[in-house]
Amino acid sequence: MAEFVIRALGLGVELAGRRLIDGVSLTAARGQVVAATGPNGAGKTTLLRALAGLVPCAGELEVGGYDPRVIDPATCARTRAYCAQKPVSAWDYRVADLGEIVGDPAGFARWLEKLQLGEFAARRLSELSGGEQKGAHLAMAFAALPEPFDGALLLDEPAAALDLGRQEAVRQAIADFAHAGAACVVATHDLAFARRCDRLLVLAEGRLVAAGEPASALTPEVISDVWGEPASPGR
Amino acid sequence: MTATKAWVTGSFLLAGLVVLALSVGTQGFGWGDGGSLVLLRAPRVLAALAAGLALGLGGAAQQGVFRNPLADPGLTGVFGGALFGIAVLLGLFPEAAWQRAWFIPAAAFAGALGTSALLALIGSGGSSARLLLTGLGLNAFTAAGTLVIAARSGESRELLTNGAYGDWLGMATLELTWLPGLLCLAAALLLLPLARSLDLLSFGEDAARGFGGAVGGTRAKAVLLTALAAAAATCLVGQVAFIGLLAPHLARAVVGPRHAKVLPLAALLGAGLLLAADTLGRGLWPQAPLSAAAVTAVLGAPLFIWIARRQHG
Repeated sequence: MAEFVIRALGLGVELAGRRLIDGVSLTAARGQVVAATGPNGAGKTTLLRALAGLVPCAGELEVGGYDPRVIDPATCARTRAYCAQKPVSAWDYRVADLGEIVGDPAGFARWLEKLQLGEFAARRLSELSGGEQKGAHLAMAFAALPEPFDGALLLDEPAAALDLGRQEAVRQAIADFAHAGAACVVATHDLAFARRCDRLLVLAEGRLVAAGEPASALTPEVISDVWGEPASPGR
Repeated sequence: MTATKAWVTGSFLLAGLVVLALSVGTQGFGWGDGGSLVLLRAPRVLAALAAGLALGLGGAAQQGVFRNPLADPGLTGVFGGALFGIAVLLGLFPEAAWQRAWFIPAAAFAGALGTSALLALIGSGGSSARLLLTGLGLNAFTAAGTLVIAARSGESRELLTNGAYGDWLGMATLELTWLPGLLCLAAALLLLPLARSLDLLSFGEDAARGFGGAVGGTRAKAVLLTALAAAAATCLVGQVAFIGLLAPHLARAVVGPRHAKVLPLAALLGAGLLLAADTLGRGLWPQAPLSAAAVTAVLGAPLFIWIARRQHG
């Protein structure tokens, strides 16, 4: 039987009177990479934030053995790491500073190397491109979870704004992280990226439309229904 | 420059400045018979050091907690709130206000905390403009309130007017200095451990919570302690607007933005800047000394413009 790192049952998020997530259930086992995809406003980011315990939500939720909504922030940080879609810093840190801030400079440097950003460690964030900055923040999220990796990694659009080489490096780093024992949930618009994950969730208007292995979940009919256009091989 | 080098250099410069400050006064240059003038000047020097330390550190903490390089307790009305608190006490109870050493610091703290809380409630979470406009509004309100009270209270008028111009260092005695001085130190010591939380907060609330930061707790502590630092500094010097802005920017320019390095260096620089301003103000014009706030503004404004151009293109 699979050992689930994430178990969510009937998650619901309502903010300012709007239902952003409605009855979404999912599981992610150790070693699995799960992609959450869907059109703009489908609820991908809200789902990740709910799983991370960053937004009030209804339903049953367990991440890394705890309910992130009720445990203290320090324990929560040991069970899951989260990287926002567009992370920004108020101050112009050097890239290497991020490792010290997250508390694991050596781990951060290793992940930075894996993401092909090792050469930028001494630079300031303002000296990096948008994609490189995102990579540095991803390395921060990777380094935030302590070894052995048995928690959850929650990444919002990890490969957006990256060139093809770095996209592959990010995909490989996520796979390595999962193989080391974690469960990863990745919100992405990139269907090619999503298809290479172990499992896939398709969201539309806050509801789960399809779930399962990519080949069975992302059918031409689902793509047509959700995105409103014929499926094309390029997507 | 490394943080260690900056600290060693800064400490030597500050030690030299303290010797100079103890040697300069209305009686001219020198220590007097048996160091009598040094003893007379020591409370003023201690008051300037303690207030400057609190101003520098308070500014750095406020910038950190609001994620805004323009946040400064002087601009955001926290000093104004502290002086308004003192004005209310002096206006309502002009004699009782001096009966206990903690009455005036407590009134300043209440005023500073009130404006800090309003600033956090109304001004934070939006754009820089929102924070600054809220702060300017609070500043204008508290300044007007202080002036109204000053105009209506004959005994305290001169005292409050001097406070509004940052000209209280000249009154420093050990009796008036010890409690606010200790409060400045206490606020500083309690703010320093927030360095990592402020670093985490700089990536936004979600990221900070994601990495295990206690966002609400950090905000509450920083707002409370910045108010305490501002209140204690106001009791010593009155309103000085520029140091809380300048010291953190200078510190960041020297050691980078990590709060573990910025907070202590901003404290050191704040102490040095205020003491230098006060020493210059009374050293150049011994018979009619300029207030530390006036000298700080005259010298600080061009320096701040230079830093702004250097750091923000």
